[in-house]
Amino acid sequence: MNNAIAVAGIVIKELYRRKDFYVLFILTALITLVMGSFKLFNDEKIVRYIKEICLLLIWLSSLVIAITTAARQIPAEREQRTIFPLLAKPITRGQLIFGKFLGCWIACGLALVVFYLFFGLISGAREHHWPLLNYFQALWLHWIFLGVVTAFVLLGSVVFTAVSSNATISFIVIAGILFVARHLNKIALQMAEPGRSILYAIYFAVPHLEFYDVRDLIIHELPLISWKILGLATLYGMAYVVFFLFGTWLIFRRKSLN
Amino acid sequence: MSTILEIKNLRVEYRSREVGQGVKIAVDGLNLNVQAGEVFGFLGPNGAGKTTTMNVLLGFVNATSGSAWIFGADVRQPIARQRIGYLPELTYYYKFLNTEELLRFYAKIFRIPRSQREARINAALKLVELESARKRLIKTYSKGMQQRVGLAQALINNPDLLILDEPTSGLDPIGRMKVREIIQRLKNEGKTVFFSSHELGEVETVCDRVAILNQGRLKVEGRVHDLVEKYQCNLEQIFLKIIGYEAQA
Amino acid sequence: MASPYLILVLLFTACLSLGSLVEPWYQTWKGGRQSANVLDVLIGDSRRMFANHFFAKADAYFHSGYYPTIFDSQKREEESHMVGGSNEADDEEHHQHDENCKHDESQGGKKVEGGFLGPPKDWIDRFSRNFFPSIHTHLGKNGNEREILPWLRMSAELDPQRIDTYTISAYWLRSRLKKVNEAEQFLREGLRANPDSYEIYFELGRIYDEDRREPQTARNLWEAALRKWQTHDKAGRKPSDLVYEEITGHLAKLEEKQGDFKTAIHYLKLLKERSPAPEHIQEQIEELEQKVLK
Repeated sequence: MNNAIAVAGIVIKELYRRKDFYVLFILTALITLVMGSFKLFNDEKIVRYIKEICLLLIWLSSLVIAITTAARQIPAEREQRTIFPLLAKPITRGQLIFGKFLGCWIACGLALVVFYLFFGLISGAREHHWPLLNYFQALWLHWIFLGVVTAFVLLGSVVFTAVSSNATISFIVIAGILFVARHLNKIALQMAEPGRSILYAIYFAVPHLEFYDVRDLIIHELPLISWKILGLATLYGMAYVVFFLFGTWLIFRRKSLN
Repeated sequence: MSTILEIKNLRVEYRSREVGQGVKIAVDGLNLNVQAGEVFGFLGPNGAGKTTTMNVLLGFVNATSGSAWIFGADVRQPIARQRIGYLPELTYYYKFLNTEELLRFYAKIFRIPRSQREARINAALKLVELESARKRLIKTYSKGMQQRVGLAQALINNPDLLILDEPTSGLDPIGRMKVREIIQRLKNEGKTVFFSSHELGEVETVCDRVAILNQGRLKVEGRVHDLVEKYQCNLEQIFLKIIGYEAQA
Repeated sequence: MASPYLILVLLFTACLSLGSLVEPWYQTWKGGRQSANVLDVLIGDSRRMFANHFFAKADAYFHSGYYPTIFDSQKREEESHMVGGSNEADDEEHHQHDENCKHDESQGGKKVEGGFLGPPKDWIDRFSRNFFPSIHTHLGKNGNEREILPWLRMSAELDPQRIDTYTISAYWLRSRLKKVNEAEQFLREGLRANPDSYEIYFELGRIYDEDRREPQTARNLWEAALRKWQTHDKAGRKPSDLVYEEITGHLAKLEEKQGDFKTAIHYLKLLKERSPAPEHIQEQIEELEQKVLK
């Protein structure tokens, strides 16, 4: 576990010494502030559209950070040959993978905290109240979502050689899941066999990432999610994380590195 | 003297990427022992299988058959690497870290206790003369400095076995001298050094025993002194004779 | 190697020349296009698609996010709930609608899933409903109807020819948010883009009648609305009968309030021609005729 934590520390350092996060944060802040500067119908209390725009930008930025960070971990180590002096130490490949995952995930979490702090400031400036528990739930679920995404992309990084291929495919798959996964059962009902069974199988197999997108609940100030449901969603996400990381380890443990 | 490194019937095959070429044999039935406290030179022309053998010892590549042990542990187990230091031929380290951070990272992997960590880092930096540059990012280092970083990380855990893959490659004469001095010092401390090199002159000076590989097979192995006496020529000429090179002129 | 200053001067000259060459061309660029707005021309008809999306977004906001997707089989209602009518009638209608929804979705303390979602089809469907709005509600407290306005604004920007964007926004602005000036300003923007719109004339008339209490201006606007409607009708464009009833009905009521019963009767007769309940209108005409006789 110590080895994994040490590797995670390096990943976090890398993320914060690269410019990506800062660029995305500044872009998010700029666009939100510009959109918020418009006075619509002389009403300064209109706030939900700003929340929606801000949360959308946060989601896009966090997805970019998670996918690009995770996609380049293992390939970059191999390409830059830093993996050789590392694996020549008493560290297993499983510890390396777990450390990379942990580092990416924690780094994403730290980025999320900054983003959501900004979001809280913006929305609080107009609404003059801070539903902290709601924001915490949104942040927590978002972080679990990024955990699943990171694990998925890490699996892709040991399957696909090129970082760009992995990143592109991951973006498409994740966007597809977010938009369509919830509705696959409805589409399946309208299909004939064997299409129906195949679609149902996909419906139950894919990680339902839409569980973690609670933007509408935050934007429209809807009540808190039950903590029990939150816990179940967390377990659901972690199950997929374990599954993807296990798959990554299975593929990577025997891979020749020369 | 105890056997630190043991290789038995090692065979490594690669599937050729070219159609119809079948399998390429990189290492074919290698048997080798390295004793504690000796400096062992692992020689051979390019493509002989030296790096592949080292990759197997370090767990980067899986052997097709055969086995290898370090300190009695199978090389596939991470515990086998607890007491070794490795300097790769091409030294690349995390460019976004400085040397101190890199060494601290590797020290954590080796589970060097916190109380000893800083002292070890300072000692390693002093040995390779990088104290003044410890806070600079590695991406700003010259090639020679990066090679010294490599040496520092290979020595951070005070290894009992040092595996060096062409340690003087790309270094100027001063750099090569420093590497020779470090190897000599390690030998005096009773450490074992296993390295590959094309600099046969310095191998002849530094090594106790050598092995010469060609086309994946071990051609000759023995004490340098004994080989020179047997073949009545220097190590370079022995090398050329073994691999079957005939001078054109 | 040329001096960098010389290169800069050359570049500056080249830019000036290019600018003077392109400027006359740009002046004639609008040509036969409906709009000189670069964005409009670049995006083309897809701006209507975006405008429709933002309009639907406003409707979704009105329902606090509870909104069918393209995958939901339930038919969307033809008219958005955001459509306004007369003040009291709307309040009554929305209140009743809210009550109906609450009754559908909660029976005897048990939640019964209704609306377009239907009952959950499996455990994933059931579980996912915890994470998005799954209960039918309307905005309507503490002026939070304002939240639909940005999307209506964006929709109007992208498709200024969509009339109901202006009329709906005006309804919410003036009747719920008490922003009469803003409502009027927005309607006049809509009128500039749609000078033949009887709907916008009608809504403007309502502002002057109900909010500004200027019956003369209201009359003028409603008469203009009626003329526009009749022009549309003569040209075979099938204008809305509902709006016609509103215009003639309001004119009749206005004239009755002003004491001009004869004109009121005239408008009621016009209304009767297209009303689905002509007997009811006839009763009103007879009442007014009695007053005239007196």
